[in-house]
Amino acid sequence: MAKDKSQRDDYATPLRRLLTAVLCLCLAAIFIVWRIDSPRVERFRAQVVDKVVPSMDWAMVPVTATINLLRDFQSYQRLSEQNRELRSELRQMRAWKEAALQLEQENARLLDLNNVRLDPQLTYITGVVMADSGSPFRQSVLLNVGSRDGVHDGWAAMDGIGLVGRISGTGHNTARVVLLTDAASAVPATIQPSGQTALVTGDNSAAPVLSFLENPDLVRPGDRVISSGDGAVFPAGLLIGQVAKDRSGRMRVRLAADYSRLEFLRVLRHHGTEVIQDPGGLVGAPPGDPVPQPRPEGLGAESAGSTAEAGNG
Amino acid sequence: MANTSPARIWTMRAAFPALALMIMFFHLLPLETEPRFWAPPDLLILLAMAWSLRRPDFVPALSIGLVMLLADLLFQRPPGLLALLTVLGCGFLKARAAPHRESTFASEWLAVAVAVTGITTVNRLVLVLFGVQQAPLGLTVIEAVMTIAAYPLAVWASQSILGVRKLSPAEAETLVSRR
Repeated sequence: MAKDKSQRDDYATPLRRLLTAVLCLCLAAIFIVWRIDSPRVERFRAQVVDKVVPSMDWAMVPVTATINLLRDFQSYQRLSEQNRELRSELRQMRAWKEAALQLEQENARLLDLNNVRLDPQLTYITGVVMADSGSPFRQSVLLNVGSRDGVHDGWAAMDGIGLVGRISGTGHNTARVVLLTDAASAVPATIQPSGQTALVTGDNSAAPVLSFLENPDLVRPGDRVISSGDGAVFPAGLLIGQVAKDRSGRMRVRLAADYSRLEFLRVLRHHGTEVIQDPGGLVGAPPGDPVPQPRPEGLGAESAGSTAEAGNG
Repeated sequence: MANTSPARIWTMRAAFPALALMIMFFHLLPLETEPRFWAPPDLLILLAMAWSLRRPDFVPALSIGLVMLLADLLFQRPPGLLALLTVLGCGFLKARAAPHRESTFASEWLAVAVAVTGITTVNRLVLVLFGVQQAPLGLTVIEAVMTIAAYPLAVWASQSILGVRKLSPAEAETLVSRR
């Protein structure tokens, strides 16, 4: 019996070692394949997420809602204090609302005067945030719209106010939004009113860094940062946030979108910025082409015939 | 004796992926969408380590590998790398588990600390070698320290709630002889 047992052990242990080694090799191979052919593995990842996360969705919504409810309950303790703050804020807001209404009317009048046509292609799909990245090292959220709804990689996602991130990775039912705060995110932006261009680069903190600023002296805290549309990735003119200076003197962007409560996101349909490629032809007819001369009026039938000829030619 | 029955072993083998899925579920809940300045302990690695030091037969390498691979895919990490390192780390701990039968908790904790530090360091080194973008160093260090600090909690939870404790020598003997 004892001998039998030890014999079996002799077989079992090397076999187990072999299997573990094969497993390790497979995992290493997956990592190396990912490093070599990243897009394919990322597509596979999007498919896995697409299968796994929606199957958890039935439980996710109630659990998230319950936890948020508990958090809100904690904030009831500060209710009266909040109420007072809100009242004073409301008073300020009334004044601002009046100013905004006047400005809106003025803006509409000016737009009408200038005959401006706003980009009609910027329509949007609204998605619900299903899950976040699940790790403190990556900043992304998962939306419940995907290639089924026509979502493409690279489209912009906004909450009601400001830019939130960019679609990166679409499954059939889900799409991942890489937030502006993620270390892999960089968005070309314009700073108004100075018109400086810069990159809004995430670094895993709440306020992304403004990098590649041409002339930092022209930029002041409080300036508006909007997407510039350079690189044809994003539509231009989406609000990103305001410039702020951190303690070490670096320019950062205080984001306009409310990152603490991302529940619904708008995905802007963007079909690429049209690029003008040819330098433009000569204005007028090409040389050698017979140009119908305007004829003096009152020549009667002959005039009518020559016009018809010109129309044919 | 109930601790070594095949039914119990297979239940616990199924319980490990189930628990892991539950942990991943709570990680994925969209509660915290702002960047954080600290990182919570990596519960999946803790669970795998606590179990492989107590009952290596509950967490075969295949199970650890697949669970961690799924976590890699879901949490946007480089797929396969952390899974590989976790399998190796748990293998190291499993190999130490037999002589550890008589040893103190402090030395066990030390072994886990060595394994976690090793996993974190090698992970970063490989990522540097392959030129992959890195998380900030501070966050990684915080995560490793939190993971090591939370190890007694994971052990307590798996011992008192799930009943994963070390076998007595007699039980180990019956387990080996039946195999």
